[in-house]
Amino acid sequence: MAPTASQTSKSKPAGADIRAFFGGGASQGAKPTPKQTKIGSSQPSQGAARSAAIEIDDDDQPSKSSAVKRKKNNIMISSDEEEEEKRITPPRKKSTPTPRPSASETVKPKEKPKSKQKDNDADKYPTPISKPTKSTPNQSKPSSSKKAVPWKSKATDDDDSLDDDDDVVLTKPSKSSPSTSKHFAKENGTTKKAPRKSRTEDDDDDFIVDDDDEPIRKKPRPSASKAEKSSGAGKKAPRKSKVVDDDEESAEETEDGKKKGKAKAKAKPKAATKGDTKSSAKSTEKLEAKKADAQPSGSSNKVNWAQVKAMKSAGPAAPGSKAIPDGEPNCLAGLSFVFTGELTAFSRDEAVDLAKRYGGRVTGQPSSVTSFVVLGEHAGPAKIKAIEKHGLKTLSEDEFLNLIATRKGVLDAKTKAKMEKEEQKIQEAAKEMEKAERKAEKANASSGSSKPDLKSQLWTVRYAPQTLKEICGNKGQVEKLQSWLHDWSSSLKCGFNKPGKHGTNLYRAILISGPPGIGKTTAAHLAAKAEGFTPIELNASDARSKKLVEAGTNINNTSLDGWMGGGQLTNALGIEITNKSCLIMDEVDGMSAGDRGGVGALNALIKKTKIPIICIANDGGAMKLKPLTGTTFKLPFKKPEAASIRSRILTIAFKEKMKIPANVVDQLVAGAQSDIRQVVNMLSTWKLSSDSMDFDEGKNLAKLNEKYSVMTPFNVINKMLGPYLFSPTARESLSDKMELYFHDHSFVPLFVQENYLKTEPAKLRNFDGPEKQIEHLRLMDRAASSISDGDLVDALIHSPEQHWSLMPLHGVLSAVRPASFIYGMGSGYGGPNAMSFPQWLGQNSKQGKLKRQLGDVQIRMRLKVSGDKPEIRQHYLPALLPRLVKPLIDVGASAVDEVIEVMDEYFITKEEWDTIVELGLDQNKDELILKKISAATKTQLTRKYNASEHPVPFHKAQEFGKVPKKLAGGPAPDLEEAFDLDEDVDDEPETKMDDDSDDISKDKLIKQSKSKGKGKATATTAKGKAKT
Amino acid sequence: MSLWVDKYRPRSLDDLHYHAGLSARLRSLAASGDFPHMLFYGPSGAGKKTRITCTLRQLFGPGAEKLKIDQRVFMTPTKRKLDVNIVQSNFHIEITPSDVGIYDRVVIQEILKEIAQTQQVDLNARQRFKVVIINEADSLSRDAQAALRRTMEKYMSNMRIILCANSTSKLIAPIKSRCLLMRVAAPNTAEMQTCLQYVAKREKFDLPPEAAEEIIQDANGNLRKALLVLEALKMQSPDLTGPLAIAKPDWETYCNKVADMIVQEQTPSRVMEVRAKFYELLSHCIPPTVILKTVAERVVERVDESLKADVMHWAAIYEVRMRVGSKKIFHLEAWVVKIMSLYKQFVFGFSMDDFEA
Repeated sequence: MAPTASQTSKSKPAGADIRAFFGGGASQGAKPTPKQTKIGSSQPSQGAARSAAIEIDDDDQPSKSSAVKRKKNNIMISSDEEEEEKRITPPRKKSTPTPRPSASETVKPKEKPKSKQKDNDADKYPTPISKPTKSTPNQSKPSSSKKAVPWKSKATDDDDSLDDDDDVVLTKPSKSSPSTSKHFAKENGTTKKAPRKSRTEDDDDDFIVDDDDEPIRKKPRPSASKAEKSSGAGKKAPRKSKVVDDDEESAEETEDGKKKGKAKAKAKPKAATKGDTKSSAKSTEKLEAKKADAQPSGSSNKVNWAQVKAMKSAGPAAPGSKAIPDGEPNCLAGLSFVFTGELTAFSRDEAVDLAKRYGGRVTGQPSSVTSFVVLGEHAGPAKIKAIEKHGLKTLSEDEFLNLIATRKGVLDAKTKAKMEKEEQKIQEAAKEMEKAERKAEKANASSGSSKPDLKSQLWTVRYAPQTLKEICGNKGQVEKLQSWLHDWSSSLKCGFNKPGKHGTNLYRAILISGPPGIGKTTAAHLAAKAEGFTPIELNASDARSKKLVEAGTNINNTSLDGWMGGGQLTNALGIEITNKSCLIMDEVDGMSAGDRGGVGALNALIKKTKIPIICIANDGGAMKLKPLTGTTFKLPFKKPEAASIRSRILTIAFKEKMKIPANVVDQLVAGAQSDIRQVVNMLSTWKLSSDSMDFDEGKNLAKLNEKYSVMTPFNVINKMLGPYLFSPTARESLSDKMELYFHDHSFVPLFVQENYLKTEPAKLRNFDGPEKQIEHLRLMDRAASSISDGDLVDALIHSPEQHWSLMPLHGVLSAVRPASFIYGMGSGYGGPNAMSFPQWLGQNSKQGKLKRQLGDVQIRMRLKVSGDKPEIRQHYLPALLPRLVKPLIDVGASAVDEVIEVMDEYFITKEEWDTIVELGLDQNKDELILKKISAATKTQLTRKYNASEHPVPFHKAQEFGKVPKKLAGGPAPDLEEAFDLDEDVDDEPETKMDDDSDDISKDKLIKQSKSKGKGKATATTAKGKAKT
Repeated sequence: MSLWVDKYRPRSLDDLHYHAGLSARLRSLAASGDFPHMLFYGPSGAGKKTRITCTLRQLFGPGAEKLKIDQRVFMTPTKRKLDVNIVQSNFHIEITPSDVGIYDRVVIQEILKEIAQTQQVDLNARQRFKVVIINEADSLSRDAQAALRRTMEKYMSNMRIILCANSTSKLIAPIKSRCLLMRVAAPNTAEMQTCLQYVAKREKFDLPPEAAEEIIQDANGNLRKALLVLEALKMQSPDLTGPLAIAKPDWETYCNKVADMIVQEQTPSRVMEVRAKFYELLSHCIPPTVILKTVAERVVERVDESLKADVMHWAAIYEVRMRVGSKKIFHLEAWVVKIMSLYKQFVFGFSMDDFEA
């Protein structure tokens, strides 16, 4: 919120200055024209809403003579765009025609004198108050207001007619509506181009601030201030109204309007100062120089408290407020970018998309090969360091946009050559593929086999790799597989005792694991074929129960019958077996209910197989596959990098005569999470409707085929408390945020509570000193009380009534809302202490355990003492300690008898004595106290206690009729067993006590281990209890 | 060798030192033969259990004092096994259903029915009914209380129930209306003085009234605490004269440390330190309400006059939330953060308008 706000406020004075500057000087009449043309030119890609405006420009401009060339250019583009727009969003189009004529008509006559200012002025004056002041100098104002009408009408389809007719006043603010409309458009994902326009404006805006503003500011200040004053009321009013929901829209509009106005004003000088002909390289250079100036001016503004307050009340500057320039396709080709910090108008994802859209490469960390680092606000310190280290060029957001707008896709020779080479390669590969296909066809035809025509097959089959070389990624793994198969017969001969190069030759089988669609099965088949094996594949479509696996593979076959019989051998599954067969057990983790014992049988098979077996699974670590651990060599396949898939996909696309740029392919690959099969499937589907795919289409397609994955709580919490999810530019809706909670609804709230204090809240950026501390505490307070609310809801959810329908509310209260207050840098983002696992779980089970032990103490003391557990803990324990423990510390071993006497008095056993010590806090903390008692005294106590008889208040129920398990002396209790046989372990101490008279020799250690076992058991049960 | 508090516990209604009216009523009730269900309530250390035991003795004679403890296993509908400790004599049975948390209903149903359905076998028994004492009745779940209400009426002939609770506020009205309410108030200073002097006399030492006064002050109406403190003091300084330093129990000093931490510094890291301390206290079986109360009282001592009301206000609010909610630490921490925020603002002289409700 803060950053954007600061931006707007920063640019506001500048805008005001410019407005005054232009409004004041009559001589500026000449300048406007170039500006306008510039506007037109710089916003070539507007949506329908825009196009209307552009046409207006069109109309106007003939009368003004200058800058015609460029304008025309733009107009052409814009009209194109318009068409496109129309196609995409038909409803919007409808509204355009009506207002357009009127707008253009009205505008034409009026604008002629001062067309240049119409934009600025109109934008700057959102309320009627401002109107009079302006109207004196500018006739253009009314015109502009009218002009605004069509815009607005386009943006908000419903309201337009009203606005048109009735309020001229209203329409002024509405002028800005195009940008809002753009927001909507953007959010809907219908028109990506719309926002671009406003963006460029902003770009230009800053541009001008940099070059021309300084002088301008000084000169026109007085007039500017006047204008500002007059307009001030108008401006402020809408801002404040933002807080109120109803007015929000209009407020936004006005603000946008302001921006635009400024932008336009600035755009003009830019056009003037810079010719159209300036090379992109030059402009970027300039940008960089200017950036230095621009940034300090921005930061100096931040200090102003009043402004900060105003910014806050204004809410986040509208994301998407900057138009995205319509650069040449691939204008960023060959450049690599790193984004860091928060951009004001884009979310990180959008910015990354933008770079990719224009062919740029985006990496996560800056390195020496990074061309530009796009620096947002509050960039990470690590990245800044890296920038300094590598001496990288940095861009601000606006410069980045400008780079897109101005850079021609000129590539240096090297990258060009590289690209060409790549292209050539692709073409060659495609040719080769075709050749191979033809060959296959011929072979098919000649042999007359019944194989279906390749052309009619699925792409995934048709373009499946034919050789090992063609497999994308996992080269090393494939090689291992191949060499294992290669050495198979020799390893078989020597009994699998020579590890070989990769250590694979010790195994009779290999287990390939990895996510779907990355070529595991293909690799297995191809490797088998390449090594001359005939693959026999059994997959989940075959029943693979123990019996069938055994029968099908002849594990237990001891007869020579088949072999002697001669002819073709087939097994029970009807597959021919030769000594050069290779069994591929596909999808072994899919051996489930129907395949009882299948994995075991497979394992048995592996142990004595005389042919190589390749098992394939998605999850190599599954419990089900445990038996295979010792007998197979693990060969994990990883998701291939996008780069290694790209060329293959491009080849396929080329062969299918589809036009798909490389960056789109990357997008698809990323969207499918490197699932090659899915990408090919997506392409084949796409081919049915279209031969080309642009960036946005690719993105949508990838989104449609998105795989849903569950995030771990750690990832969720990092995302949630991180600086981006709630930043003003974030695009996540509330339900997206709630979705995070549902990734793990029981853990996320705990993680939030554990870690919410570890961030450096982004909302504090504009505070300093005591205000910062107070504000921080205030945010913490709000977060904490929200968490507390959340717990109340949680209690309802887990109450006997089980209000599960409250879960969304719980999600908001316990996770989303607290995070919305204190999100920011910190843990996981280079902050001091990383996110940690919630202590609550451990502490809760500890509490449960101690509570249970306290219960034991209480019930033993019950015959003497009337107090309940809290009373025992709070009052008796402090009173008993001096009698039970202090003598041991002060006197030592000789006090043992005295202590035992007290213990007997209260029926306390040694075990309860331990509990009493453990329950101590602070100065009575168990560690402190136990340290003070000498080891000799401790053993003495144990021995003496065990040596004597003690009164027993009660026997545990289970003791009768059931033979208690003897744990002492035997093997250590199995954890699982302890869990199941809760009570048995529990009553152990009891029995022990009775037995104690017999076995004095048992020392403390044995007892200790026992009590531990009990502790575990109690802990688990107690936990269960506590949970409910 | 027992602690004095146990050694000199009154055994019969006649031995009780205070609430003479209550004792008289209990005596006449026991004699009347029409003994109702009863609900004893009052703060801890006031003598509820003592009075119950005395009443039982009055009802059944000394046989009721012969206690044995039994451990029973119950099976929940979900096949979980629950251990429940039962203290019983031939004439009565005492259970603490809240030991088993939300499964208390099972215990109530099973035990009560079992007892209610069997008649008194001992022909020599003075009464035809058995008595069931339910401890910590105020922490019974609603389900358990509901299970209780019908049983109380249905098996009246075989069984009387004595509920023992700290407060009646968590008991549902139908239960309260079926019981004779017996309020056992905390003894006042004079009454406690008598008790302490009585113990001193029996122990054959001289207790200066000032010392007793101080102990009583510290005990805050909890006679058990007073007697325990007295004994500890006597061990510490046998003559009990001069300035007495009553040692605070470990958990109380720990709570005070937490309070001091809150007042000293108000930062996120401090909140986390406080959280660690709270966890420590909670896991060592100090009830969360006690923690909140102790810490809040200490904080109130240390902050400015104008903040005191707010501190207590929020402590009250978060105590309620703690009872309603399930994860106590969340509310404790929310309170701490709130107090820190308030305190910080006070220090910097900000208005507290934002914190209304």
